[in-house]
Amino acid sequence: MNYPIWELHSITGGTLIAIIAILHAFVAHFAVGGGLFLVLTERKALRTNNPALLAYVQSHTKFFLLLTLVFGGVSGVGIWFIISLVNPAGTSSLIHNFVFGWATEWVFFTGEIIALLIYHNRFGKMDSKSHLAIGWFYFIFAWLSLFVINGILSFMLTPGKWLETQNFWHGFFNPGFFPSLFFRTGIALFIAGIFGMLTSLSNKNTPIWDTLVNYCLKWIYLPFILILLSGFWYFKIVPETSLDNLLVSNAEAIKAINIFVYASILIFILAVFFVIRFPNTVRKMATVLFILVGLIWFGGFEYIREFARRPYLINQYLYSNSIYKSNTDAINKEGILNTAKWISNENINPGEKLLNDGKEIFSLECSSCHTLTGRNQIFNKTLYFTERGLIAKLSGLNKINNYMPGFFGTEDEKAALSAYILRSVHGKPAPKEEIVNVQSLESKPSEFNSRKDKYVLLVWNDLGMHCVSDNDKYFSFLPPANTLYAQLIKRGERPEIINTNVTLEYEVEEGFRNPQNHVDFWQYSEIVYGAKFQEGYGLAGNGISGSLKFNENKGAFMAEYIPVTAYNDNNTYNPYPSFTIRAIDNNRNKLAETRAITPTSTEMGCRNCHGGAWRVNNISGFSEETAINILRVHDRMNKTSLLNNALNGKPALCQSCHEDPALGAPGNPTILNFSSAVHGFHAQVLPDMDADACALCHPARVLGNTSCSRGRHNTRGLNCVHCHGTIEDHAVALVKNEKIKKKPAADKLLANLSPRKVATQAEVNPRMPWLMEPDCKACHGNFNIREEGKGVNGFNNWVPGGAALYRNTVDNNGVYCAACHGSPHAIYPAINKYGRDRDNMQPLQYQGIAGSIATQNNCKVCHTVDMKYNGHHRNMLKFDKLNLKNKDVALK
Amino acid sequence: MQLIPHADQIPVHWSWFQVLLLLTFLIHIILVNFILGGSVLTLIDVIRGKTISKASSGIPTLIALTINFGVPPLLFIQVLYGQFFYSSSVIMAVPWILIIPVLIVAYYGAYYFVYKINSKTVLAKTGLFISTLILLVIAFLYVNNITLMLHPQDWGKYFRSTGGMNLNFSEPTLWPRYLHFIVASIAVAGIGKALFAYFDKKSDKELRNQEINSGLKIFSYATLVQIAVGVWFLLVLPGKITWMFLGRNGLATILLGIAVLLLIPTLIYSFRQNFRYTISGILLILILMILIRDLLRKFYLGEVFRLSDLEISGKYGSLILFLGAFIIGIASVYYMIRLITSSKKQ
Repeated sequence: MNYPIWELHSITGGTLIAIIAILHAFVAHFAVGGGLFLVLTERKALRTNNPALLAYVQSHTKFFLLLTLVFGGVSGVGIWFIISLVNPAGTSSLIHNFVFGWATEWVFFTGEIIALLIYHNRFGKMDSKSHLAIGWFYFIFAWLSLFVINGILSFMLTPGKWLETQNFWHGFFNPGFFPSLFFRTGIALFIAGIFGMLTSLSNKNTPIWDTLVNYCLKWIYLPFILILLSGFWYFKIVPETSLDNLLVSNAEAIKAINIFVYASILIFILAVFFVIRFPNTVRKMATVLFILVGLIWFGGFEYIREFARRPYLINQYLYSNSIYKSNTDAINKEGILNTAKWISNENINPGEKLLNDGKEIFSLECSSCHTLTGRNQIFNKTLYFTERGLIAKLSGLNKINNYMPGFFGTEDEKAALSAYILRSVHGKPAPKEEIVNVQSLESKPSEFNSRKDKYVLLVWNDLGMHCVSDNDKYFSFLPPANTLYAQLIKRGERPEIINTNVTLEYEVEEGFRNPQNHVDFWQYSEIVYGAKFQEGYGLAGNGISGSLKFNENKGAFMAEYIPVTAYNDNNTYNPYPSFTIRAIDNNRNKLAETRAITPTSTEMGCRNCHGGAWRVNNISGFSEETAINILRVHDRMNKTSLLNNALNGKPALCQSCHEDPALGAPGNPTILNFSSAVHGFHAQVLPDMDADACALCHPARVLGNTSCSRGRHNTRGLNCVHCHGTIEDHAVALVKNEKIKKKPAADKLLANLSPRKVATQAEVNPRMPWLMEPDCKACHGNFNIREEGKGVNGFNNWVPGGAALYRNTVDNNGVYCAACHGSPHAIYPAINKYGRDRDNMQPLQYQGIAGSIATQNNCKVCHTVDMKYNGHHRNMLKFDKLNLKNKDVALK
Repeated sequence: MQLIPHADQIPVHWSWFQVLLLLTFLIHIILVNFILGGSVLTLIDVIRGKTISKASSGIPTLIALTINFGVPPLLFIQVLYGQFFYSSSVIMAVPWILIIPVLIVAYYGAYYFVYKINSKTVLAKTGLFISTLILLVIAFLYVNNITLMLHPQDWGKYFRSTGGMNLNFSEPTLWPRYLHFIVASIAVAGIGKALFAYFDKKSDKELRNQEINSGLKIFSYATLVQIAVGVWFLLVLPGKITWMFLGRNGLATILLGIAVLLLIPTLIYSFRQNFRYTISGILLILILMILIRDLLRKFYLGEVFRLSDLEISGKYGSLILFLGAFIIGIASVYYMIRLITSSKKQ
């Protein structure tokens, strides 16, 4: 931000730091532990009066000097160089806060090298006591420089109280100081042992080999007691989010941990070569292996420590990409490009501005860890995204998983970054908004003669919209299954609901009679749903034509789960196929006939983010690519193997794990229910949106091929959010309910969700999906169109349970609300893009007006006479201007 | 100028860092002169087939000390001028980071040469040659960075190569400044050679005098060349800054004036082969040059930055840690040297 960024292509700055730092630190730890090794071994040689051992110490000193002084010294400066190139802001921060710490370390370093030069150059030229004293000086200075560096290194992971006080001592003696100091001291002794082994076996004085080998083995393995104990202590003080990064979410970190663990095991296995007297060449080779494994082990540890700190460079203070935590609000407000200093705006023509901005943003926010096509490349990581999906991903950073910083900047900048990655890096074309032009279909109501006809047949689909996840080869969560309800009313001054001695037959319109030719539900039903269904017949055994059965509990005729789809045999798409329903008496006389539509869409917006084309005719359906990409994400984030299972012919039903009242699936009681999981997750990545968030997934897009929100609320300007809340509100209500059930994932999802309709999560009433929906009475308390003083406020006013849902409620006389008002989301009068009055065929059939049945005092539809009192609910007969106006709108 | 990053807060008054910077830099640069000039002189001796000075064997040890004494100036320049230094380093990131691996090669090359100093194998000579060449290149890269950090107006070149493949060739003082440094290194290495012989009490007196005189001779001739280079350097500085040293700025003029005046007796003594007076003179001149160099930096940056602009947090606690460690360090080194001198060979 503040500094220019060194752009790298095949390797990240972090890797460069790691290469230099791991090699340096390995040698630097040797410089500490090896110091003690030198003096103790020299002392041992002197005490036992062993000139051969003393000669060994001298030759080891030369090796020690050449490795630690030359390589160790220069590579130490190398770390300074590389960190100031890769992360100047972080380096500057460490320098300015700890300048006297560094200066102190330099003093110790100076003492160290002067002592070493004397120790080496004067070996055998001084009296042994003084020489040994010089050795001790060396070791103490070396350990003190570890002491100081350790303070600053451990500070970066656990800055502790420093975050509040910015006090040097709080930062230096941070919570991680002592565990880290002991841990590193242990490492230093271990490394001294393995290098000791190397020089021992290169020593020309063969008779002392075995003594030396045994001696070095102690140096190698005894420190592990210290390493293990301080390691546990270290683990205890590591912040919880870091542990989550390390052990759960960050795949890279898990790799590092595995490397560390396996290398640890190898280190112990290697002991075999030395305990058993193998020939010397084998032991020499084993020593080289020892050093290599030791280096890998050590690198594993340093990587783990680095990963633990993610997404910070200085925990809770400075992000890996040099952005200060304290600056993020300002950056989100003003934009990263307006706050960063090193931005090139020269000679950019406006057409290239978007992509150029994206490139700059990539450089500023991503390039510290990601290259474009090299190491940790962004190309591979964004293979399965669309631009919209990438924007969502950016919004979700640092929420579910904490190892990456969030995106900082404006929404426009998010879009610019996504455009740059997808268009410039992947070479994909700019996305175009899909506009579906729909042809109006025949929607002619059935005949009704108000003077002659004796019956009124009211039929409706229980849901205003039903979707089909039509890629059962990979997974399924919504089978083809529409449920029709019907009530047959015998007209008269006192109308009667007829439930007996009558058969209600249904039949789908031409073109929709072969759903098995369009979706693979039947192919996979046994694996996915646990039962084999006859082709063309659905979950409840109903086919595409058949009869509605009277259901005592419901007080209505029902045909459950009719497997109708939106695909017409003539290759067109229509998410509103119509059914003709006939009431027939026992003598097969037709009593009444009407038409109803069964909304069934495959316009699932998953592909908006997860990529993939439409499956069918470029207009609708769940393509393989989309399905695969979704499973990939699910597998990655939840450690499942759904994709593999699907590819092996075992696709899953989402609800086999995720409870779902809609399907009556119990799921796994420790896993979030389906709606909570899906909304809870996607609310993280689609923040601050209105109903457009809903339409990204549900078939509600105005320019889409379904536009399921088509009822009276919609024509009055209300959208999803007015009743259900924004996606955040919606998700909080759902996930809170799961939290009550103590489901483990709930807290993680709630951690980053703030409701928008109310101020706090506490104010949101938890709800069970499908069973607790917005209560109509929240706005229509008195059955008025809308009452004064009541805002549009379906959100947070949930019905108490399934029985109280609009679709399940009846009036005082047993007539379903939906019978007269239409299906949810298609409340009369609705406007359907596949034929304006496609949803209104029954009101038009019976009263010629596309409103609620009996609207505008049309009580005669059933009662045959005008009524003077509100028989079904309050305020039925109130003359309502708005209603008229609405009718006008509808009839236009 | 909009590119100049914000500076971070410093804990104590900037003058502490200023003094520490100049002091440690003086030691560092003398050591650099010794190893760079020393390598060049040794290489010349090797090429001419002459006996190699005993002083040459000290080069690897001096490299260790040079690197060690390079740490504090590197630290303090980041404290005081980090926003300039980091920016210029990133602009020339690739050559800058390459200093590290090549320095390791040079260092091992020097050790290899010294271990084989008597056998004079081709490989040893090659080692010396590579080491010397590398040290010359590193010096050049340093001059690039140190000049680039002074020219924020040239930082726009970053955008032409964001991959860090830039040097500061557009800088008019680049070559005279580099040459000024190389010639100084040879001159000071001459002094170093004399100094080594002066303290090398074990060697034959005749040989020691010969070495001292040869060192002083190198110093004298190199310094004559340096006068020309110095004038060139002064003249290619931006006109405004040149005039600062020629009267417009009192302090700058006085410092340069004293240095020039001191040079005359120092040269006379060196030609007369008076080692003690020469070394005293050159030490004073070096101190003056360090101060002049610092003033030059302040003149360059004067319009955009002054040290007094730095915010001070006033947290002195850690300074005490450093001073305490410093005293312990000095005492320890003193004690260790005492151990050497008082110790008898077993």
